[in-house]
Amino acid sequence: MRIHTTHTRDAALRELRRINRWMIAGSIVLTGVLSDVAAHAFPGKTIKATATKGPSASQPSSSAETSTGVLKPPAQAPQASTESAPSQESTPSQESTPSQESAPANESAPAQESAPAQESTPAPSEESAPSQESSAPVVSGGS
Amino acid sequence: MCAPSSIDRIASATWEALGTSVVLQSTSSAALASARATVEAELDAIDRACSRFRADSELSRVNAGAGRAVKAGPLLIDALEVALRAAKLTGGDVDPTVGQALELAGYDRDWQLLAPPGAEAQAERPGPIVARLRSGWQTVALDRASATIRVPAGIRLDLGATAKAWAADRAAAAAASSDCGVLVAIGGDVATAGPAPAGGWRIRVTDDHRSDCSAPGQTVSIHSGGLATSSTAVRRWSHGGQTMHHIIDPDTGAPVRATWRTVSVAAASCTDANIATTAALVRAEAAAAWLAGLGLPARLVDREGEVLAVGGWPAEAPDPVASVGVAGAMPIGLVGSCEPRVRVHA
Repeated sequence: MRIHTTHTRDAALRELRRINRWMIAGSIVLTGVLSDVAAHAFPGKTIKATATKGPSASQPSSSAETSTGVLKPPAQAPQASTESAPSQESTPSQESTPSQESAPANESAPAQESAPAQESTPAPSEESAPSQESSAPVVSGGS
Repeated sequence: MCAPSSIDRIASATWEALGTSVVLQSTSSAALASARATVEAELDAIDRACSRFRADSELSRVNAGAGRAVKAGPLLIDALEVALRAAKLTGGDVDPTVGQALELAGYDRDWQLLAPPGAEAQAERPGPIVARLRSGWQTVALDRASATIRVPAGIRLDLGATAKAWAADRAAAAAASSDCGVLVAIGGDVATAGPAPAGGWRIRVTDDHRSDCSAPGQTVSIHSGGLATSSTAVRRWSHGGQTMHHIIDPDTGAPVRATWRTVSVAAASCTDANIATTAALVRAEAAAAWLAGLGLPARLVDREGEVLAVGGWPAEAPDPVASVGVAGAMPIGLVGSCEPRVRVHA
């Protein structure tokens, strides 16, 4: 009876060891497989410079300076513009008076040179507005 | 070709493209037609590659990839590189992966098809918009060697923050020549190339690019580079009883809470100017110092209409009608002069 119990215990321990080995091996393989799946699902990207968001709002200039490249300022800052338009300043050719700039272009009625308040700048409804000569400024606004 | 006698004359044409208005100006009326053809071809190609609203665009195919690497043409790859550069330079404030957030906010079609603000019943207020967004741009895999783009499932690209300005830069560069200058404005994002007319290219900065030049704002001139304006006062729509706009804060995935109503920036290119304006709206109070630190001339208008000029942006001339139409919603279509109507603050 005692011998039988010892044999039974030893056999059970051997079985447990075998099961443990399989479980360890299985968990290692499973870890590898899951890691591979996760790596493909979330590939990430190599970042050469510090580009974490973090404190960008409180330290505004750091992110732009540490990333590759910078936002480049213009060669010359904008200048306050007066109403004297370029085409009015130097019009050596045909039209004699700037205020009649649109006279030769009969078909482009909306493009009155001297009336920038008229709808001469963006004419969204006109799919193919005729070309016009205009001194009205281009409008830059939200879109 | 530019006739020497016409170098200072500005010919212009307007039409619709990329879901907005396009203005082309040329220092030569003779060169306008060919310049327009060049610009139209450029914008058409960019639309087919980069539009989020076209089911047949390359961008739509990439967004549908859901984790798979998708082949892309050189134009979309260039556009995405520009967008990822914007994200890097702004620490993620201008993020091309906000497409899902925009769709959750109801911006799932051309904005002109969306319900105007206040059109929906206020009763059906939804919960806050939630989207997986933080640093999403870093999960985008762009492989130029294999010409593929991989966007993880759950992330959708939207190049709207940079593509329009980049298109303006490309179109202007393609249409200009050594003796003909051109200006291309796409939805208010202005790019120039070639020689400027005498006195520079005149630009009216205001809240809405659809305004005429009598709208409250300031008229400036630039000789090169680009100028862009972003605003939370336009492209607004109603979704689930809430008023939305198109500037998304990547931190929250919701439209930014506007400290600034409108920001205009001049830069060496329209793309850089546009990156700066969008980031400024997201950065809120920190924007002015950030722009000044970068040396970017900028004009910031807060919700009350107060103007702050930084980085060498020109001061506005005192205006006797300064108190007219400053605060609140911007009136469109006022008839009047192009004199500034906004108060000046140092």
